Amino acid sequence: MSSNPTILETINLTKHFGGVTALNGVDLTLREGEILGVIGPNGAGKTTFINVVTGLDHPTSGQVKFRGETISHQPAYRLAHLGLARTFQVMKPFRHLTVLENVAVGAMFGAGGDKRSTGEAFDRAAEVLTRVGMQEKMNWSAQQLTIADLKRLELAKALAMEPKVLLLDEVMAGLHSGEIPIAMDLLREIHASGVTLLVVEHVMKAVLGLSDRIVVLHFGKKIADGAPNEIVQDPKVIAAYLGARYGKKTDDQRRTTEVPESSPPSSVHHPPS
Amino acid sequence: MRGRPERVEKRGEKIIYGLTILAILAAFIFPFTAPSGFWIRTFTFVFMFAVLAQGWNFIGGYNGYASFDNVTFFGLGAYVTAILMTRAHLDFFPSLIASGIFCALFASVIGPPLLRLKGHYFAVATLGVANAVQQIVAGWDALTGGGLGLNLPLSTDPNFYQLIYFTMLGVMIVGLLVTFFLARHKIGFGWIAIRENEDAARALGINTTLFKTIAFALTGLLVGLAGGAYAYYNTAITPESVFDIVYTVNPILIVILGGSGTVLGPIIGALIFQILSTYLQFQFPGLQGTFLGIGLILVIIFMPRGVLEYLTGRRVFGLTSLLQAPRENRA
Repeated sequence: MSSNPTILETINLTKHFGGVTALNGVDLTLREGEILGVIGPNGAGKTTFINVVTGLDHPTSGQVKFRGETISHQPAYRLAHLGLARTFQVMKPFRHLTVLENVAVGAMFGAGGDKRSTGEAFDRAAEVLTRVGMQEKMNWSAQQLTIADLKRLELAKALAMEPKVLLLDEVMAGLHSGEIPIAMDLLREIHASGVTLLVVEHVMKAVLGLSDRIVVLHFGKKIADGAPNEIVQDPKVIAAYLGARYGKKTDDQRRTTEVPESSPPSSVHHPPS
Repeated sequence: MRGRPERVEKRGEKIIYGLTILAILAAFIFPFTAPSGFWIRTFTFVFMFAVLAQGWNFIGGYNGYASFDNVTFFGLGAYVTAILMTRAHLDFFPSLIASGIFCALFASVIGPPLLRLKGHYFAVATLGVANAVQQIVAGWDALTGGGLGLNLPLSTDPNFYQLIYFTMLGVMIVGLLVTFFLARHKIGFGWIAIRENEDAARALGINTTLFKTIAFALTGLLVGLAGGAYAYYNTAITPESVFDIVYTVNPILIVILGGSGTVLGPIIGALIFQILSTYLQFQFPGLQGTFLGIGLILVIIFMPRGVLEYLTGRRVFGLTSLLQAPRENRA
């Protein structure tokens, strides 16, 4: 995996909103064929990161490169044509259109859109909906869908664009525990079809289960970058995000090999600054 | 994998197509059988307001941008025709076409900066443009005749009213065909996506600035054509008479009445609105505005998506799919 070429790279990526620094010099590489998890507490800059990478927002400074080409100040639609797709954490369905029409818009205008007629876009949309298991709801109006289905619709719209890189902004949030393994299988299958994934997620079971590598953001800074098993033991990550429960768990694990009665719990909640 | 929804409403569609074609044929025969010039002029205004509504429907109905610049294009269209006919001595039709092209170009120039704004900000900015353009036209005495306006050459054609009638009808049919085809084209889906959620539309690969500007240019084209024809019909124009806010407000009301973002909505809306307002004007002179206002409030409360959808709602007659243009008939 680590020998694969870099497909997406950010260099010193910084974004200010007035006095707020949402991203502070983030260096991140995504390799082709990888599943990269991005975690961090609320307000860490995860959604801003996706917005800036996909061109919905532009960085204050720093660069985004896609296959070696600098794309930082290109409009979102052009990045979509290059093969970058994303889902929205706050779902953005086209409410007055049907599920099929929603997805067809992605098939019409995404990376493969130019070569398709309107009718072919609808065929493609139907295929994608079957793949995500929504074939029975194709002709429903988007406003009739439940949260879980709206999440799946977000995914279907992005998939219909034939992306090379798919950035998922909390597609599992709001799903109940039975739906999570299904969603994980779906993401694995999408990945197996040749799509590089960047997964922003709070559901730790999913991130740990899916990711080849995990990056942790905190107050707009990257505080950790490594394999999942390293990340869960990183004291900085435990302090900033995972909290006492994961901290305890690693302590318990340590206790089996070592002895010390470590870290007072009060320090656990203080993020390093 | 078959993704195209079955065309279960085929029969309903055929009925609507048939009725539309019949109505257009009737409109062509009507002037030769009309009992008086009054009816020809009444229908001339039905068509004119249908065109103004079709124009607004592109930017307001399909894209969801509440533009108050209809009056700008109407006034500019009227002045371009008037200036070309009085100062350059061109014939009516070349002047008319120049009006449409000029307004489409004007819309494409002011479109990109204006359409960056959203919601109220966009609406207020278009109001600002409308005022600025009116002031410029009123102040440019040498070209526009200033506050006194311009007098167009009087037509010697005995069938003058029929000429204007057919001009307005022709522009309306062009508007109908353009809407019909674009609504089925990718661009129509792009517009609806922009209206429903612009950020999602951008992320899905839609060049939103370009799409919105095309819609705005089409608005300019149709409304400019109507303005040019109106100037010739009226023979005298002043800044106050053609930059009248009714050319912004009435088309918006007509679109809401008929069905926003639909192919036939503007025409149906204009038919109901103009005929009703003409009737009320004779029955209750001075009060027609009050009745119309009350009627529109009731429409907005009880049928917010227009008369068409209310009467032909998918669940009742199953015809909405046709009228709600982009939902059906994808080739």
